[in-house]
Amino acid sequence: MKRILTAAAAALGLSALSTGALAQDWTPPGPIKLMIAFAAGGGADTQARLIAEDLETKLGWQFIPEQVTGKGGMNLAMAIKDEPSDGSVIGMVVTETMGYNMMAADAGVTPDDFTAITTTAGFQMGIVSLSSKGWTGFDDMIAEAQGTPLRFGVMSPKLADLAYLLGEAQGVEFNIISVQGGRAVMNGVNAGDMDLGFMAGIQGRGVAAGELVNLASALSEPLVQTPEAPMLSDLGVPFNADGYFLFIAPAGLPTEARDAFATAIGEVITTDGMKSNDMITKAFGGPTVIAGDAAQALVSDYFDAAGRLMEAASE
Amino acid sequence: MGWLDYVWLGILAVFQGPEMFSLFGIGISVTLVMILMGFLLGIAVGSTPGLAGPMAMAIALPILISIFGFTPDALLPVMGFLLGIMKGATIGGAVPAILFNTPGTPDAYMTTLDGYPMTRRGEAKKALRVAHFSSASGDTFSDIVLILCAPFLAVVVERYLDLPEKAALLILSLAFIAAVISNSVGKGLISLGLGLLAAYVGTGEDFYPRLSLDTQVLAQGFPVAAVVLGVLIVGEVFCRLEDIRRDRRLKSSSGDIVQAKATRLSGAELRGLMPYIGRSAIIGTAIGALPGIGSTLAATLGYASAQRRYRRSGKTPKMGDGAPEGIAATEAANSSVSGANLIPVLSLGIPGNAAAVFLILAAETIGGFNPGPSVFRQMGDAVNPEMVIAFGLFTCMMIANLLNWTIGGVFMRSMGFMSRIPKHVLLPVVLLLTLTSIYVQETRMAAIWFTVAFGILGYAMRRLGISPLPFVIAFILGGNLEQTARQAFAATGCDPLFLVSSAVSILFMALTASIIVLSLKRPKEAPE
Amino acid sequence: MGRFNRANLALGLGVAILGLMIATIWVSMDTASGLIEKVRRQVTIGDALAPTAAAMFLVVGGLLVAAFDRDDTAYRVSVGNLAFVTSLLILLFVSLALMRWAGPLAAVFAEGGYRPLRDTAPWKYIGFSLGGTALVAGLICFVERRLSWRAIWVALVATLALILVYDLPFDDLLLPPNGDV
Repeated sequence: MKRILTAAAAALGLSALSTGALAQDWTPPGPIKLMIAFAAGGGADTQARLIAEDLETKLGWQFIPEQVTGKGGMNLAMAIKDEPSDGSVIGMVVTETMGYNMMAADAGVTPDDFTAITTTAGFQMGIVSLSSKGWTGFDDMIAEAQGTPLRFGVMSPKLADLAYLLGEAQGVEFNIISVQGGRAVMNGVNAGDMDLGFMAGIQGRGVAAGELVNLASALSEPLVQTPEAPMLSDLGVPFNADGYFLFIAPAGLPTEARDAFATAIGEVITTDGMKSNDMITKAFGGPTVIAGDAAQALVSDYFDAAGRLMEAASE
Repeated sequence: MGWLDYVWLGILAVFQGPEMFSLFGIGISVTLVMILMGFLLGIAVGSTPGLAGPMAMAIALPILISIFGFTPDALLPVMGFLLGIMKGATIGGAVPAILFNTPGTPDAYMTTLDGYPMTRRGEAKKALRVAHFSSASGDTFSDIVLILCAPFLAVVVERYLDLPEKAALLILSLAFIAAVISNSVGKGLISLGLGLLAAYVGTGEDFYPRLSLDTQVLAQGFPVAAVVLGVLIVGEVFCRLEDIRRDRRLKSSSGDIVQAKATRLSGAELRGLMPYIGRSAIIGTAIGALPGIGSTLAATLGYASAQRRYRRSGKTPKMGDGAPEGIAATEAANSSVSGANLIPVLSLGIPGNAAAVFLILAAETIGGFNPGPSVFRQMGDAVNPEMVIAFGLFTCMMIANLLNWTIGGVFMRSMGFMSRIPKHVLLPVVLLLTLTSIYVQETRMAAIWFTVAFGILGYAMRRLGISPLPFVIAFILGGNLEQTARQAFAATGCDPLFLVSSAVSILFMALTASIIVLSLKRPKEAPE
Repeated sequence: MGRFNRANLALGLGVAILGLMIATIWVSMDTASGLIEKVRRQVTIGDALAPTAAAMFLVVGGLLVAAFDRDDTAYRVSVGNLAFVTSLLILLFVSLALMRWAGPLAAVFAEGGYRPLRDTAPWKYIGFSLGGTALVAGLICFVERRLSWRAIWVALVATLALILVYDLPFDDLLLPPNGDV
């Protein structure tokens, strides 16, 4: 159901864009500052830089990438908010920044203070453990958790809430360990410091090699790599960790500028042979483009849903 | 994947990396070229009084990253260059010490004691040869120890230490650094506390960036480069500028002493030096493996131990009057610190000196390589890319050693002219260079102001006799320490006594307490 | 063992008091969660704990300096030091202000102001070359205690060299102040 909605939204977004004739004429006023909310060198950062590179080659626009990391993207959001909204500054965050994190931070901003441009790719968020634990599926893990609390690694407060609700629904207790970044969860699980954890696609190679195992999908749909793993909704948790990488700009970005960006980004990441397309296909299982008004509606939805999740987790 | 496979992969990663150009049909990898360039630059920088290896590493970093980008392919060329600088600067430091009685790097001070008298006797070339031979020997020995020990230690740490023990080990390392680095534990702790405090601004788990005074400027915390370069380099520049302004003493020229032509070291002479070199290399390596104790102490201890031995032998000239043995002992000791210093970096992620700080900074900035025990994890059939990089780094070090043995001596002996650059002209340029390199990385003026502010802090700490190194190391480890403690607390199901919940962590905490208490009782000499 | 040293006593007690003030005023008022807090029925370490511990290091370190350090480790900050730092700061402030504002001032009458021009030569070099030259030349003259043409030449060459190293080869690097405007 969700998948159809997403596809419909994407189609709507793209068709809305193609009618925007003005978008074709728009050119940026000088070099564009590209703020990146992820640590340099990671998959997300590489993705942003490759998209910028592709746009430079294709359109001759010039990007100046800059790291603005921390606080789940909120540092970037607060910094970009006051930048000029003339298309000379854009930023890359995740939808969680505009959803749960913006709600939880209570910093006096809402998604309406920003312009959502387009998503680029989704996460293959799974609940993962070492295969050497001997658990072949989710139920084996829960059986072991009945005895002693297991250590559950998470990389954001939203995921901590989900882990907590999952334990509650399954009648077990998890010792939830918050770390910074998906790689830290994988390192912790590999080192035996954690028994299981959320991983947003980074587990792909380990799962393929048989080192790691996807116990469950944290999405509203099955994981591509392990379609038989149960989803959170099957496990008694009415929330999910769906999310996308998202380009944003300050509120008030002219529609033609927004659509010009969205069209250009959408084209490079979906065109075979582009560096960013290649990278996104390898690391994130392919591009997902939700652009323009559809993207804005998506983050508004996430923002509203965040309140319900926080309420459920604080009960 | 066995260990030997990784060694081979590491060597391949260096030699078969991206090609720079091809020579007679054989591709020369860019990493090799970078090691060579770093090494030559390092010798030049080490030969220049007022510059030092870490400074050159810091300034080169943003340029290197702009060239190579943020991909894992960038790690070996960039870190190879930095390792080259580190090694080059180590031997370069002896040049002005011997020729002009001014140590190029602080740890070369002891080299002046016997080096300059030899110059005055017309044996400058010979003194430089002794320095080069001893330095290269000590360095190579130290690297071999590193390569043998670091993977082993990392595996032990990874296998036997759980989160609470890791937290305890971090606390132990920080306490050790604070206690040994200066001659006052109190001042060491102050330096440590300030460094931790700086690390905690803007960070934390809540969405409100703590200690940010509700401003956007502080919300992202202090940029690592601004803090580290500010305290270590800008602070030092301020201090030296003040000294020069106060003294206004023109440098004494060494004059033109006629130098002897025959400068070869005979086999017998080398054999005579070997015991001194060997002993100093062991002292330097042992000291280097402990975080926080610098090469200056190693040089002092190496020299002192050589002095005892030399006195018994009854040779002339006396040590301090131009004995090659004195140079050999000093240079072997201070050079053997650098390799061993990477043992705690690669196996624990704990930097022990300024050079190690910049290597960690490089790895963090580029991404894809996180120095620490996870580097040496075997992953079954899959290749652990970090371990390949680690063995690639070892390969880089061995290549740099090879360069050191082959062309290092010649190049070093030609660098005498660098010592003539006046410091008071050089230092302001270094300041502008540092500020620009930070801006280029951070692209906001606030970062420059932070750097100046931390420069003033570094200046004040030096003037108050507080060593800035615990500050920098605490700043780098602060986030890690807090996160490990938080995770250990959560993992143990909120056990408030998690730091003393197992035998190993009790041992670490007991060692921490005894280090502090012991250093209070025993006044120490030889501060950094 | 000597007597208490006045310089060490002042430094130690000063730092200890500073540490106490940081812990009780700054840390407690400027963090969102306390030392420990309860989230999702789990006790967790709050954001205030680590900075409080850091401040306690200052307190303990300061007290140790006051109580245990003897004359041989005493250092004083002199009036001369303060005068040096003050003049240094004024010099830095002037040259960095020049670096920040010279370009925008020069572009006051250009269409759209400085921002669209921040990556266009020669505009993008105005601030850096003026501010950088002022910084280096100012410092050399300050240390030499005299004005000299040599200082200005060295400063010009150094600034030019930095532009050559950082700006010309790299498209996506910005010299100061072009990321702020």
